[in-house]
Amino acid sequence: MLGLGNKRAPLAWAVHLSVLVFVVLWTLPTAGLLVTSLRDKDAISVSGWWTALTSSTQNAVMRTPDGAAEKQVGDKYVIAGNVLDGGSGTVSAFGRSSLKPGAFPAGQSADLGDGVTLTVKANGDYELAGTKPLDGGQRIFYTAKTPPHFTLDNYSKVLFSAGMLRSFVNSMTVAVPSTAIPILIAAYAAFALAWMQFPGRSLLIAAVVGLLVVPLQMSLIPLLTIYNKIGQALGVDAHTYIGIWLAHTGFGLPLAIYLLRNYMVGLPREIIESARVDGATDFQIFTRIILPLSFPALASFAIFQFLWTWNDLLVALVFLGPQDDKLVMTGRLVNLLGSHGGDWEILAASAFISIAVPLCVFFALQKYLVRGLLAGSVK
Amino acid sequence: MIHQLVIAAITIVFGIGAAAFYFYGSNWLLDTMLPVRSGRPDAARNTRLTGLIRPWLFLGPAILALGLYLVYPVFASVWLSFHGRDGKEFVGFSNYIWLFNDAGFRESIFNNFLWLLVVPAASTFLGLVAAALTDRIKWGNFAKSLIFMPMAISFVGASVIWKFVYDYRAAGQDQIGILNAIVTYFGGTPEAWITLPFWNNFFLMVILVWIQTGFAMVILSAALRGIPEETIEAAVLDGANGLQIFFRIMVPQIWGTIAVVWTTITITVLKVFDIVLAMTNGQWNTNVLANLMFDWMFRGGGDFGRGATIAIVIMILVFPIMVWNIRNARREMEGR
Amino acid sequence: MKISLLAGAAALALNASAGVAQDLKFKPGVGAQFHWDSYTKFAADHANLKGQTLTIFGPWRGEDQTLFESVLAYYEAATGVKVNYSSSENYEQQIVIDTQAGSPPNIAILPQPGLIQDLASKGFVQPLPADTKQWLLDNYAAGQSWVDLSTFKGKDGKAAVMAFPFKIDVKSLVWYSPGNFKDAGYKIPQTQEELLALTKQIVKDGGTPWCIGLGSGGATGWPATDWVENYLLLQQPPQVYDGWVDNSIKFNDPRVVDAIKAFGQYALNDKYVSGGRAAVATTDFRDSPKGLFTSPPKCYMHKQASFIPSFFPDGTKLGTDADFFYFPPYASKPELGKPVEGAGTLAFITKDNPAADAFMDFLKTPIASEVWMAQSSFLTPLKTVNVDAYANDTMKKEGKILLDATTFRFDGSDLMPGKIGAGAFWTGMVDYVGGKSAEDVATGIQKAWDGLK
Repeated sequence: MLGLGNKRAPLAWAVHLSVLVFVVLWTLPTAGLLVTSLRDKDAISVSGWWTALTSSTQNAVMRTPDGAAEKQVGDKYVIAGNVLDGGSGTVSAFGRSSLKPGAFPAGQSADLGDGVTLTVKANGDYELAGTKPLDGGQRIFYTAKTPPHFTLDNYSKVLFSAGMLRSFVNSMTVAVPSTAIPILIAAYAAFALAWMQFPGRSLLIAAVVGLLVVPLQMSLIPLLTIYNKIGQALGVDAHTYIGIWLAHTGFGLPLAIYLLRNYMVGLPREIIESARVDGATDFQIFTRIILPLSFPALASFAIFQFLWTWNDLLVALVFLGPQDDKLVMTGRLVNLLGSHGGDWEILAASAFISIAVPLCVFFALQKYLVRGLLAGSVK
Repeated sequence: MIHQLVIAAITIVFGIGAAAFYFYGSNWLLDTMLPVRSGRPDAARNTRLTGLIRPWLFLGPAILALGLYLVYPVFASVWLSFHGRDGKEFVGFSNYIWLFNDAGFRESIFNNFLWLLVVPAASTFLGLVAAALTDRIKWGNFAKSLIFMPMAISFVGASVIWKFVYDYRAAGQDQIGILNAIVTYFGGTPEAWITLPFWNNFFLMVILVWIQTGFAMVILSAALRGIPEETIEAAVLDGANGLQIFFRIMVPQIWGTIAVVWTTITITVLKVFDIVLAMTNGQWNTNVLANLMFDWMFRGGGDFGRGATIAIVIMILVFPIMVWNIRNARREMEGR
Repeated sequence: MKISLLAGAAALALNASAGVAQDLKFKPGVGAQFHWDSYTKFAADHANLKGQTLTIFGPWRGEDQTLFESVLAYYEAATGVKVNYSSSENYEQQIVIDTQAGSPPNIAILPQPGLIQDLASKGFVQPLPADTKQWLLDNYAAGQSWVDLSTFKGKDGKAAVMAFPFKIDVKSLVWYSPGNFKDAGYKIPQTQEELLALTKQIVKDGGTPWCIGLGSGGATGWPATDWVENYLLLQQPPQVYDGWVDNSIKFNDPRVVDAIKAFGQYALNDKYVSGGRAAVATTDFRDSPKGLFTSPPKCYMHKQASFIPSFFPDGTKLGTDADFFYFPPYASKPELGKPVEGAGTLAFITKDNPAADAFMDFLKTPIASEVWMAQSSFLTPLKTVNVDAYANDTMKKEGKILLDATTFRFDGSDLMPGKIGAGAFWTGMVDYVGGKSAEDVATGIQKAWDGLK
C-alpha cells in the first residue's frame, strides 16, 4: 500500500525474514500450549511438548489383570495380553523389576524363577506362564517407541463440563455492554476535551491522566460497600449486570478518554473549522465527522476493552459474585481446576477456548480497522 | 437456555441503548430548549448558553463514572492509609513509617523501577519495529494477528504458557520447558530461570513485553499509516534508504503516538500484578508494588491501612509521568 | 469410552441446571454402613424450615464441589431449605471482600483458622451454641485439640467456640510404591532413625529416596512448611508447637530452627532429592509425586497430605500401586507419643438464620460425614461414624490415624497470621532451599512477624 517494499526490492527479503522471526518468537509459546492441550494428561509433565510431534521412546509400567484372567493351556497356567493395550508402538525391552526395567530385549523369554516365564514381543503381546497358578496384578516394565498421539479429550472435558454454555452467555452479557458503554461515553468526553472550549478543560485532562494509574484493586472495597448499601436500600441483590457494566466502564474510561482524545486532537483542524463555519452544531460535528474519522481509534480501544473485560476475573467475582448462575467464563475455568488447582491439560485447553472469542473479535474488527484507516487517509 | 439468551440480549440492548439515549436525548433537549436558528432574537444568547452547557453534557457521564469509580476510592484510600488494619482507628503516619522501613517494600520498589525502565521501552520499540515491518508486506495483517495474539490471552493462560517455557528439570532428565531444552541441546546446564536472583525479574518482564508488544504494534501501525505519503515519497526521491526514512521521517511524525503508547504501557507496568502473582507471587525477590498491595489488602485477613498506603505510593510514583503528560497536552493546545 | 464420557458430561450439565437439588447419592435407609437413624432424626427435628434459603461459601471447587453438593442434597431433602453453594479460586480474598462490604454468606467454610480468627476479631463470626464445646470433647478423638482449634476471640476479646471442624486431611503421611519397595527389599521405617537409615540405603543402592516439590504458583513454598511443622511436633512437646504458632516462642528459637534443619537434612542434599536441591523449589507439588511411578522410579518416597492421590497418574490404584505410611516418631523421644499433623476446613456462621443453625446441627450428624466418606477424599475424627462407610481401605487407614492420634495439631502455617503463615513462612522456606541458612531465614520470618504488631 505504501509502496515502500516494492520500490526497495533488495531489502524485501530481509523484511520478510525479520517478520518471520518475529512471528515465530511470538507464537512459539502459544503453539506450545496448543500442542500441550492436545496431549495426554500424563504425557504433559513427562516430556516436552515439541517431542509430541515425533515418535517417542518411553519407559512405562503396566499391571497384569488379576488372577481371574488366568487360563490353563495344557499343563501351564497363562496370563496373556498386550502391554500397549491395543495402542500402536514397538516394544524394545522389558523387565520385571523397577531396579532393572529394561533387563530383557523384546521377544526374549525371561525366567522369573519358580518355573514362571515372561515373554513380551515387539508388538506388545505378553505372556506370563507358569506351572503353578499365577499371582495376578504383576508389574511389567517395558520400553516402547510410540507414534505421536493426540486427543481431544481435554477439550471435551472443558467444553461439556457443567454450566460452560451458561458462563459463555454470562461472559457475553458482561463484556459487550462493558465495551460499548465506555466507548460511547469516552468518545463524547474525548471530543469535548479535544475540540470544545470551556473553563477547566486542562484541569480535567490532567485529572483523566492522573486517574489512569489508580490501581483498581484499591477501588473494590469502597465500591462494593456502596453497592451493598444501594442494594439494601432498594431491596435487591447488590450483584447485578448493570453494576458490573458501570464498574468496567469506570475502570476503562481513563484509558479510553486518553487514547481517544489523543487521536481526536490529531484530526485535521480545517475540517472541523469549516464545518463550524457551515453552521454545524457540535453534536453534528461529532456524529458526522469526528466519529467516522476516529474509527481506527475506537476499534482499537474496543478490542482492548473487550479483551480486558472478557479475560477479567477479579472484577466479575467481586461485582457479580461467585454464584453458579452468574459465573463468567474465566471463573468457570478456574473452578474447573478443582480445589487444589493445576491440571495443566485442563488449563491448556481452557486457555485456548477462552482465547477463541477475543481472537474472533480481533479478526472481525481488524477489517473495520483497515476500512477506518482508508477513510481517514482520504482526509 | 433460550430464556437466558433472550434475557442476556435484552439486558445488552438495554444497557447500550440507555447510554446512547442519554447523549441523543440530552442534546435534543438542549437544542429544543435553546434554539440557535439565526433570525431569532435570542440566538446570540442561546449560542453562548449552549456553548457553555454542551461540553458538560458531553462530559457528564464520564465525570460521574470517573468520580464514583476512581476518584472516590482514591480519597477513601488516602483516608484508609492513616487508619489501622480494619480501617477504624486513626494511626497517623505509622503506616508510612512502617512502609519505608520494610525490606519487602524496598525490594518491590527496586524491582518496579527495573520494570519501568525495561518493559515500556522494549514493548514500544518492538511494537514500532513490528508495525513498520508488517506494514510493508502482503501477509502483514496475518503476521500482526499472530503478534497481537498474546493480548487475547488471560493471565492465567499466560502463566501456563510460560511455565512450559521456563520449566526446570534437573540435568539429565527430559526437559519440558523449551528454554532449558534449547540450553541443554547446545550443551549448557539447565537453570531454574525464575529463581535466579535479579535476572528472574527479566524473565518475568519478557512475559509482559510479549503481551504488550501487540498493543504497541496496533496503535503505532495506525499512526504510521496516517503519515502522509508525500513526505515519504519526497524522501525516497532524495535517495534516503529504508532505515533513514524510518528514523528520520516516520518516527518524528508519530512521536506523539509513541509517547501515548509508552505512557500507557508504563501505567500497565505499575498496575501489573497478575503475572508476578501467577508466576512467583513475589518470591525469589521478584515482588512488585501492585502485588505487595494486593497481598496486604486481601491476604490473610487483610490490612486495609497498609494496602492503601502502598496504593498511594504507586500513585505518587506515577506523578512525574502525569506531569509530563499534562505538559505535553498543554503544549499541543498552545500550538494551535 | 468417549461416548460414555460425553453422555456423562451431558448428564452433568442437566444436573447443574437443576441447581444443588440433585438426587440423593445413597438411598436413605439402604446400607448398614450408614447411620440413617441420625438422618431421620435430623429431618424430624428440623421440619419447620421449608422454603428458607441458605448461602454457603466454601473452598471446594471442581470434583470436591460435586462431592460437597452430594452431602448438601441430604440437608436439603431433610429440611426443605434451598442451598446456594458457591466458591472461588481466590476464596480467601473473596470472603474478606464480602464480609467487609457487608454481604457475607450465611455460612462460610475455610481451611485457614488464622483467617477465621481475623474475621472473628473484626466481629464477622457468630459464636456457636455453648454446648458445642462439650460436644467436640465427647465426640471427636483428641477432643481438646479440636476445641482449642475451634475457639476464637471475638471483637470484644471474649473467646468462644465459633467454628466447627468438618473434613480433615492428615498431613503426617509418606507415600510410596509398594512394588518398588518390594523390588528393592525396603521395609517401612517405624522411626525417624530408620527413615534416615533407609534414605541412606537407597542412595547407596544407586536410587534417589525423595521427591520434594514446593512449587504452587503464588503459594510456592507451602509444602515445606508441612515438613517443618511435622518435625516440630515430632521433636518437641505440643506446647512448643502452640507457643510457636502464637509467637510466644519466637520463630528463631533454636527449637524451631532445629525443625527447619531436620527438613533441610533431606531437601538440601542433592543426593536425597530427585533433581537435586535446585529442583525442590521449582518442581510443582502436583507434579512431584509422579516420580514415584515412573520407570525406573525417580524417587521412592513422597511426604504429602491425604489429598495427594488426586494428582497421581491416571489409573493408579491405591493400596496396590501406591500406599502410605505414617511419618514416624523418633525412637529417642517415646514420651511424645504419636502426634499427627493435619489440616482441614472449619464451618462458621457469618450471617445467622435458622437454616444456618440447622446446618451446623446437620454437620454433627454421622450421616453428613458418612455420605462423603463413602465417596472419596473425606476423613473425620468423629467417633460416632461407622468406619466401614469409608470408600476404600486407604481412607480407612488414614481415618484410623486420626482416631488413634494422641495429639492432633492443625497445620501451623494456617493458624499463624496470614502474612506469616501464607507469606513470610513460604518465602522463607523457598529462600532456605535456595541456600540461606536456617537461622537467617527464621530470623527474617520473626522480623516480619514483629512488623505486624
